[in-house]
Amino acid sequence: MSSILDRSSRNFLWQHPWQLALAIVGIALGVAVVISIDLAMESSLTAFEQAGKAFTGTATHRIIAGDGGLDERLYTRLRVEQGIQKIAPVTSGYVELAQHTDESFKLVGIDPFIEKSLQAVWQQQQNANKTSDFLTRLLGEPNTALMSEQTARRLHLKINDDFTVMADNREQRLKVIGLLAPDNAVSEQVLARLIISDIATAQEVLGLFGRLSSIEVLMDKYHPEILTKIGKVLPANALLVSTDSQSQSMREMTRAFSINLKAMGLFSLLVGMFLIYNTMTFLVVQRRRLIGSLRAIGVTRRQIFRLIIGEAFLLAIIGTLIGIALGIALGQGLLYLISETINALYFRIDTTSLMVTPVQIGKGVLLGMGASLLAVLPPAFEATRFSPVTVLTRSQLESGSRRLIKAAGLISLVLIPGGMALAFFSGKSINLGLASIFLLLFGFALLTPVCTLLFMKLIERLFGRLLGILGRLPARMVSAEVSRTGISIAALMIAVAATIGMDLMIGSFRQTVAFWLQASLPADLYVSLPGEKMTADKTLADQRLKEKLAKLPNVQMLSSVLHTKIIADDEFTQVSVFELNAKLKKSFIFKHNVEDDLWNRFEQQQSVIVTEPYAYHHAVRIGQKILLQTAQGKLPFEVIAIYADYKGDRGHLAMSRQNYRHFWPDLGYSGIGVYAKDGADVQKLENQLSKLLTAEQSVKSDRAIYKASMEVFEQTFTITETLRWLSAAIAFTGVFSALMALQFERIRQMGILRAIGITTRQLTALIVSETGLMGLVAGLLAIPAGYVVAYVLIFVVYQRSFGWTMAFYFDPWVIVQGVALAFIAALFAGIFPALKMAQTKPAEALGTE
Amino acid sequence: MTTEAAITIQRVSKSYLESGRRHEIFSELDLQVRRGEFIVLLGRSGSGKSTFLNLVSSIDPPDSGKVIINGVNITGLSEHDRTLFRRHHIGFVFQSYNLIPTLTVAENLLLPLELIKRITRKDRENVVELLAKLNFADRLDSYPDRLSGGEQQRVAIARVLIHDPDVILADEPTGNLDLDTGKQVLELLDTLVTKAGKTMIMATHSQEVIGKADRVFSIQNRTLVSR
Repeated sequence: MSSILDRSSRNFLWQHPWQLALAIVGIALGVAVVISIDLAMESSLTAFEQAGKAFTGTATHRIIAGDGGLDERLYTRLRVEQGIQKIAPVTSGYVELAQHTDESFKLVGIDPFIEKSLQAVWQQQQNANKTSDFLTRLLGEPNTALMSEQTARRLHLKINDDFTVMADNREQRLKVIGLLAPDNAVSEQVLARLIISDIATAQEVLGLFGRLSSIEVLMDKYHPEILTKIGKVLPANALLVSTDSQSQSMREMTRAFSINLKAMGLFSLLVGMFLIYNTMTFLVVQRRRLIGSLRAIGVTRRQIFRLIIGEAFLLAIIGTLIGIALGIALGQGLLYLISETINALYFRIDTTSLMVTPVQIGKGVLLGMGASLLAVLPPAFEATRFSPVTVLTRSQLESGSRRLIKAAGLISLVLIPGGMALAFFSGKSINLGLASIFLLLFGFALLTPVCTLLFMKLIERLFGRLLGILGRLPARMVSAEVSRTGISIAALMIAVAATIGMDLMIGSFRQTVAFWLQASLPADLYVSLPGEKMTADKTLADQRLKEKLAKLPNVQMLSSVLHTKIIADDEFTQVSVFELNAKLKKSFIFKHNVEDDLWNRFEQQQSVIVTEPYAYHHAVRIGQKILLQTAQGKLPFEVIAIYADYKGDRGHLAMSRQNYRHFWPDLGYSGIGVYAKDGADVQKLENQLSKLLTAEQSVKSDRAIYKASMEVFEQTFTITETLRWLSAAIAFTGVFSALMALQFERIRQMGILRAIGITTRQLTALIVSETGLMGLVAGLLAIPAGYVVAYVLIFVVYQRSFGWTMAFYFDPWVIVQGVALAFIAALFAGIFPALKMAQTKPAEALGTE
Repeated sequence: MTTEAAITIQRVSKSYLESGRRHEIFSELDLQVRRGEFIVLLGRSGSGKSTFLNLVSSIDPPDSGKVIINGVNITGLSEHDRTLFRRHHIGFVFQSYNLIPTLTVAENLLLPLELIKRITRKDRENVVELLAKLNFADRLDSYPDRLSGGEQQRVAIARVLIHDPDVILADEPTGNLDLDTGKQVLELLDTLVTKAGKTMIMATHSQEVIGKADRVFSIQNRTLVSR
């Protein structure tokens, strides 16, 4: 392409630095949000996987057990009786440092001299460096530990320094006997939150005497008999799983959460695309005279097309690069929020820093470049339509757009019902559920210009009557350039609709959870009994405590629960074992009508009731039987009811204590509900009760539990809220950019108004009124769009993602806030162009062509 | 025409900064225009004709000197007061017509009136009447870009007249029009403006208009030279 032609394009861009900057900002922000979510999510999950590998090395399988872990004698039996050599025992758990209670570390007890092929990379390095001295000391000296050089430096520890760790209120002093030097960023990340000791030390610190957390197994295809050998000695409460499938199930577990977050990132990119489209369209339209002249002197349509695409390419490269840098910075911030949410909802992860991989950067580049070039195609085609003979006037361009607007309106009438149909008739697919939201939002976006024209006509009549021509002018200005203003309004409408939708969904969820919590906390006080469940001492101690509680004068009755894991259909499943009373029975919210003899069957028959998420994820229906692993083998338990539960999205089973005791050993209790007698002083009872508890046990009132639970609820939505505001910020930038461009295109018109005597104040009011009206129409249109989005989120996306159903609570305040947000954002977006325009001298404005 | 001065320009200087260099347009310019006088300003492109009109109208303030209209030193007024003064006393006809594209023909005419006072039924009737005179009775609700250049300029002239300003400034009003249409527009200006006793300064290339002017000036060496 001609370099002079290129220069004409470059010069034009340089002459419009604001638009240039805003186009780049649009691309950069869209890319940044997508990339930051991807990086933070992947870093969290990779950290979890890598942490596993840090002490399992090349293990292909793992033997795991439910509560209490594995008996360490299993390891001996596998090694001695069965002759399996490539196995390694691990005992792990979380500890806090006495001096640094704000952060926790994973204490991993290993056998320092296991089979070499099972050693983790760091272990092999230490051996290769002939520094295995401290591995020998680890085994030989009690209460010794290793940590990474970076961690020791952070904690101000040197070799031979002592430090105190705490677990379940137990304290233990450990001595640093060696420092590990990670040789790459991933190892450094993994070792940052690890303390390594030998098995015995870990068992002592964690109170897991004689227990193992897992046994790592290295199996190859040449020795399939190992599987049989393990099967022979595997206890009923243990499972042999492949490490890949465990990692896979961890990703599966967080899949819905991950999809929802990524959808929010893509939503930001969609709003960013609107922004790019808008800016590029302005840059093209402003040049219609220039492009007409170029066509007149022989520049072909193809060359014009290439010129515009070339510009977009350049902007996309710059925007994408800035977006990636920004995304990495933002990702660091999101990492904490995402890790916290995964911690609260799924499993424990310790993430310290972002892991940036070339694949993720590549994804960002592809998205940024792809989205920018896609967004610029329509304006590039528009540019080729400019006639070389006559330069089209604004109104001629607008009359062409009006036809498109009508067509868009008609298409929206197909897209909106189509989106609803997709939402409700797409099975269990989360992706299709989210796609339906995109389709709905897109449909509403296409409807926006038509609605804008109708709304402005109404406003024009109303304000024209009240305020005359000047009152009519803002609405007229919006309508006159609806092909430009419509896009800005649509972008703002989408962002506000998403905000309204999310707010209504979160509000509904909050109300549902609050109602459920209030209903499911019938006791006055709850005693929490943590600790290792396999110890006979604990079971006995729990029973004695329960007896003492029952004898307290103001206690009317008790209930109890044990949270444990049982192997159901070949996977570990959370089970709540209840000892019910009349009040607790009433606290269950069933998702269907139940028969009168339900509780009788619950107590007497081989039955379970399941939570709604469990029923959803495992496609379980009432009457179906679930195979549970017992000491007598796999036995069927009939599902007799499905109840609401919002504690986690994987769901769990519930059975009566009486039923449980028939098949499994007594593990004591996880919690005891205490019901005070009518008129009793609950605070006094709480004080009495506390005196009976050990340091590890605690008592909380129903109110305190309610408050803490709601805090966890709010915490899990922090990431959603953050991303929502990021999208709103991008939309605001889009509107700001569009309004700036619009006003600069009108500078001459403003000059005329100034020349005929309109004051700067009137001019400012005119522009701000125009943008305010744009915001208002965006806000009003966002009400039905947001309502529909909320509906699909609640009844389709969230149900498919997490298996929860919730009631739709309509909060009018959310609508008011949404409309106010659109109006105020647009008003603010108009203030700068208005001030800028007011400062422009009329003579200069009139000289602008 | 009376002998009273409608416009007094005293020692007005104006310069612009262009590519880092100061470019002087006018230096110590003096002129007195009597009420009802029709002044024509000739000059090549870029000589400063539009700048002169902008100085007179207070759209562009001078670097030094005074512009007095109807006894009011408008160079001493604040920006806001200059705008209000312009609103009441000055009417503009531009080369590019400069109608407001988002307002209809009738609204374009009514806007200057609305800025001054509340529009009455009589005002609307006046607009209809004036447009009828200009053969626009059926185009009241048309938007400017539906009109030809000559038609737009006639509407621009009507806009100037509707609020009855003391001073009318016309910047190349026929510059964008063909010869015949240009003649019609000049005729209209002559009929409606000069004969109504308005003071008018017109910057133009057109030789046709010289015969109708009371005085003709050209811009030479940063000052006005009478011809």
